[in-house]
Amino acid sequence: MRDQSGRIVQWYGLCHDIDDQVHAEEAVRRSQQQLQQIIDAVPVRIWSVEPTGGSFYFNKRYQDHFRSLIANFDALGEPRIDDLLQQLIHPEDAPDIQRTLRNCFETGSGSAMRFRWREQDDVYRWAECRVEPRRDDDGTVVQWYGVSLDIDDEVRALEALRERERELSQLVDMVPVQIRRLTPEGEPVFFNKRLIDFFGLDVGDMDRPGMSRLASVIHTLVHPDDASRLLETVHRSLASGDPFSIKYRMRRVDGAYRWVDGRAEPLRDQSGAIMQWYVISVDIDDEMRAQEALRDRERELSQLVDMVPSLLWRLNSEGTPTFFNQRLIDFLGLDIADMEKPGVSRLAALIEAAVHPDDAASLAEALNHSLVTGEGFSKQYRLRRADGVYRWVKGSAEPLRDENGRIVQWYGLSHDIDDQLRVEEALRESERSLWQIVETLPAMIDCAAPDGEPVYRNPQLRDFLGYKLEELDGTGKSRLAGTLDAGVHPDEVAGVKEKYAHSLATGEPYARRHRLRRFDGEYRWVETRAAPMRNAEGEIIQWNVICLDIDGEVRAQDELRLAQEGLARASQAASLAELSASIAHEVNQPLAAVVANSHACQRWLTAEPPNMERAQKTVERIIRDANSAAEVVSRIRALFKQSADRRIQTTISGIIDEARSLMTDEAWRRRVRIGVDVDGNLPLIAIDRIQIQQVLINLIRNGMEAMDAVADDRMIEIRARHMGNAVQTEISDRGQGIEFPEKMFEPFFTTKENGMGMGLAICRSIVELHGGRLWAEKNNPHGATLIFTLPIETKAAS
Amino acid sequence: MTADDHIVFIVDDDGRIREALGELLESHGMRTIAFESACDYVRADKPDLPACLILDIELPDINGLELQRQIADRDHPPIVFITGHGDIPSSVRAIKHGAVDFLTKPFSDADLMAAVHAAIAEDRTKRSERAELDMLKRHYLDLTPREREVLPLVVSGLLNKQAAAELGISEVTLQIHRRNVMQKMAAASLADLVRIAERLEIPITHSRRVGGN
Repeated sequence: MRDQSGRIVQWYGLCHDIDDQVHAEEAVRRSQQQLQQIIDAVPVRIWSVEPTGGSFYFNKRYQDHFRSLIANFDALGEPRIDDLLQQLIHPEDAPDIQRTLRNCFETGSGSAMRFRWREQDDVYRWAECRVEPRRDDDGTVVQWYGVSLDIDDEVRALEALRERERELSQLVDMVPVQIRRLTPEGEPVFFNKRLIDFFGLDVGDMDRPGMSRLASVIHTLVHPDDASRLLETVHRSLASGDPFSIKYRMRRVDGAYRWVDGRAEPLRDQSGAIMQWYVISVDIDDEMRAQEALRDRERELSQLVDMVPSLLWRLNSEGTPTFFNQRLIDFLGLDIADMEKPGVSRLAALIEAAVHPDDAASLAEALNHSLVTGEGFSKQYRLRRADGVYRWVKGSAEPLRDENGRIVQWYGLSHDIDDQLRVEEALRESERSLWQIVETLPAMIDCAAPDGEPVYRNPQLRDFLGYKLEELDGTGKSRLAGTLDAGVHPDEVAGVKEKYAHSLATGEPYARRHRLRRFDGEYRWVETRAAPMRNAEGEIIQWNVICLDIDGEVRAQDELRLAQEGLARASQAASLAELSASIAHEVNQPLAAVVANSHACQRWLTAEPPNMERAQKTVERIIRDANSAAEVVSRIRALFKQSADRRIQTTISGIIDEARSLMTDEAWRRRVRIGVDVDGNLPLIAIDRIQIQQVLINLIRNGMEAMDAVADDRMIEIRARHMGNAVQTEISDRGQGIEFPEKMFEPFFTTKENGMGMGLAICRSIVELHGGRLWAEKNNPHGATLIFTLPIETKAAS
Repeated sequence: MTADDHIVFIVDDDGRIREALGELLESHGMRTIAFESACDYVRADKPDLPACLILDIELPDINGLELQRQIADRDHPPIVFITGHGDIPSSVRAIKHGAVDFLTKPFSDADLMAAVHAAIAEDRTKRSERAELDMLKRHYLDLTPREREVLPLVVSGLLNKQAAAELGISEVTLQIHRRNVMQKMAAASLADLVRIAERLEIPITHSRRVGGN
């Protein structure tokens, strides 16, 4: 111990047990050392600094770090923090760190910061630095401590995680699937981008008051037809926890509904509780439409098969029926199943049930042949309809082969041709019958080309002509000209040709009577008629000609025609003989009654006693019948009287022409020629043309009858000439001549078997009524001439 | 007044003629029935009496001559033809086929009545002949077969002996048959029987000379 001057005054010693202390110190030292070792050994970088920012402490790891990066680090002395920051921190992070640190120091608050620091080889690694101040009891900051941790791996892991999450999110958005997430209660909480794009709406955009989001989403975006079904399905899954899968239509942003296939799966936690529902939907609209189209097509095909108006069937390769279309089922009234019979093949059962017994064997044979050989099947047979009626069908079948050429199926068709067959049969029948008609008609038939060339002749015509059509060829003449020249009577061939030419030129029907040479050389009267057959355009495609042998009829018909004409022109053509016979009869009948009654009357009067009553009655009848006879006479007189009023000025030549044409048929029948020689310019005369015509007809007929016994050269010549003040007409014949030229005009004189002997008498009275004369002269060498005159100035002889 | 034992049929299409003829014949006390056409006549029920048919040639349906031809093979009354205009061939034909007369209208009372009376008389004769023949036929039918064999032999003039030999029977038996035949045929004598056989047209099969062997 020292005094004030500092001298040692004393020494005081003290031995202090410092063992504990030494131990403690040692422990502290050791602890400090350990601490120092810890500080240096922990894999963190630790630093501290005084509040003034003075001296820095860096732990060993820090210093090693600096040394590895900064050249001559130990020589640099006290490093400056800003320099360190600049050299060691990533330039992008440095300013932030600087600012943060300054801020810490200024405010005295700790901080944490992340940055990239440089490592060896200029690699930057993420680090985290935390700064905290140590304060004394006053709260004054006495020291700043910092620790820097390498967190590069964590940061990178986090970044990778983030990246993955982003990728996942992108994935969720990018996968071509619409995804949403629902809460366990079913509320949609997430739509992926595709879904949003599809709807044009995000989740929550459709929220409606008073309605769950699920319901409002479904009502807004799902097709009304599918909405309730979907909602129901979702609710069921929510309740049961089972996944669901359903197809429905969702409304796209453009308003179009598209089919989607929706599927949902729950996500459960470890305890099995549902955490989320994941729902995806895939747009399957195109597939649905394709499928629908396919279904439509299939349905159409099926309809086609059923509706096609034919009976379709299919056999398998063994010939067992495997398919009938609806029409066939309806037709047969049987389906394939109906053919199951024990012990009999289905095909055999079908044939037995449905095929006409007469056709069954041949059909089975034909089918078997096809089944064995693979040749197509085709056959006509009768199929029994459900009502029991057998109808003809035409069946045909073709095999379907696989790529190896093996027959897989037979496709067959049976077409109902019953009506067609009947029509064909009827047509054939009709054609055959028409043909038979043409071939057997008792008429000669000929068909000619539009130019008139004959192309067909029926047997009757061939037989008549006696030669075949072909025989006309090669003569240099056309067939038509050949036929006409060879066949038609020379007197008529020119007229016939002319008329044919006219018809061929104009298309007018042809009709003419002429004589045609038969194979035996005899000319027979025929009537030929031809008419054109035209096509739809009106062009003549054929002339159809019918030719009737009327030779037999001509004569018979002449009689008939004469009778008819006689009736039609009674006043003109009626023969005077007929007239007088009729008059005689008319008068004779009442006369006969009068005579008989007179005798009776006489008897009654002479009876004993006289029967006056009956006599009276008979007298009355006598008066009546006598009057009736008188009436006849006065009627005849009236006829002549009337006639006088009908006289007209005319020429005799016209009347001769008329009389001649009226007598033509009779002349032809009697093979008499009529020659006419009439002067031209004959004067007009006043005559009753009908009466004079009758005179002429009567005289001509007398002449013709007079020649009945003459073998040939039958000829009537009529001459008319002007003689003085009269016109004289002569009718001469070449008959037997006359014995009594004057007596023949007396009434009832006749040389004829059937004559009344009135004709010439009446003729004479007619001519004399006209003021003319009628007489007869003998001809040389034979025959007679009847001559009458008619005065030009007619003075009616009263 | 009129007689009931004969009748006259009139066929004429002219009512006046029918009337006048009826009157005339009635004035002669004759019954008449008139017909308008041949058909009416053919179809009518006519009394079965000796009769005369006055027939007009010109009838509307069948010509009188044609009617004559049609009824020729039946028993019919003799015909008197009347005609409006008689022609020779027709009259010849009519008479040839058995007409009593052919009168042309108008005809006289005397001609007509002569013809009608002749016709009725002819018919009466024909009828009695027919009746007699009918009776003979009935008699003949009464004969036994053997008697019918005997009859021709007897009327042929065979002796009983010859006839019996012909039939291979005894002469006595033959005589019995012959007597029966004479009785049944009501023949007064052999000559009578021969006449009856002629009427019945029983052929004479044997001659006595030839068959007398």
